[in-house]
Amino acid sequence: MIVGEQKPIKEIMESVAPYKRVLILGCGTCVKTCFAGGEDEVEVLASALRLAFKTKKQRSIEIEELTIERQCENEFIQEAAAGIGRNDVVLSLACGAGVQAMAERFPAAPVLPGVNTTFIGIQDRPGIFSERCSGCGDCGLARFGGICPVTRCSKKLLNGPCGGSQNGKCEVDPSIDCAWHLIIERLTELGQLDNLKTYIPPKNWQTSTSGGPRKLVREDQII
Amino acid sequence: MKTNNKPKITLFYCINAFMESAPVFEGCSIKTIKMACSSMTKDIFLLKAFEAGADAVLVFACPEKQCRYVEGGIRARKRIEWTKHLLDETGIDGRRLAIFNTDIKDPKAAGKIIRETIELINELGPNPAA
Ligand code: SF4
Ligand code: SF4
Repeated sequence: MIVGEQKPIKEIMESVAPYKRVLILGCGTCVKTCFAGGEDEVEVLASALRLAFKTKKQRSIEIEELTIERQCENEFIQEAAAGIGRNDVVLSLACGAGVQAMAERFPAAPVLPGVNTTFIGIQDRPGIFSERCSGCGDCGLARFGGICPVTRCSKKLLNGPCGGSQNGKCEVDPSIDCAWHLIIERLTELGQLDNLKTYIPPKNWQTSTSGGPRKLVREDQII
Repeated sequence: MKTNNKPKITLFYCINAFMESAPVFEGCSIKTIKMACSSMTKDIFLLKAFEAGADAVLVFACPEKQCRYVEGGIRARKRIEWTKHLLDETGIDGRRLAIFNTDIKDPKAAGKIIRETIELINELGPNPAA
């Protein structure tokens, strides 16, 4: 899922300051799971903003709350149309893709981000999220026993560890598991350690963002 | 608009931590919310209490290690810490929210907490968002 965290109240206050009527728009998928932008977070942010504007003796603010299933998909976005029409601005608690989808679909409405989109990751356990994929566009997980060195090795090494790993931890930061320690353990368990005999040439980053914004086309799905 | 000048306190309490009939509310205007467990407090309920005009919000949880749901008091404490940070961000002041472990058999201790909270409100002034 996409992991993100809500922006500080102060920053949000500054961005909504020019507007009187604000629609706080949550997204019920990834950002809900990481406690950044689901229905509960919309409610809390609305309450916090009302308190903050009153405390700072600024003018009052009118807030409408709405959460839709997904802001990144057209078929769900339409549900927000009436709310957008009633307000001066949309404060979106979706990931960056959701914010941009809203802005594209409603070009006349200013759409502000309320969340810092952080990474593609998983929930290790409730409240702890960690990065798993950098969206490199050329997935090599098959060779690495399902553990991504592009994302999880601090040096993005593809042909084995750097030699600085200690007790399974990365030399860059002992709170990080050494990805290569994990890869070797897992490949040993799978009986696939020989995978590491194949030299992996320098990665072609053209499939990643260094080739400019990416596009995926599925001809068979286009009418 | 305020109807009286007494400090307004909203108290969320676990039924195993406090008895509402205890005579401890002198000098303040109190609203109480009874809960089956202190972990039923959530950030939104605490913020809404401030939106409704509370000058301070207290949560009484049962004594440590006596929670019948084992980790209820721990969850409550973590949520209170989180909400205190939100209150600091909004300018309300996180000190207006506090959690205490109280013993249902010791209303005097609860009374002391209420008196200290009244003193704190006198020092901080009324809820700036009220
Ligand atoms: S190899 Fe690339 S696509 Fe596969 S998990 Fe790693 S970053 Fe993601
Ligand atoms: S210690 Fe492990 S994770 Fe860290 S840089 Fe070296 S190989 Fe990569």
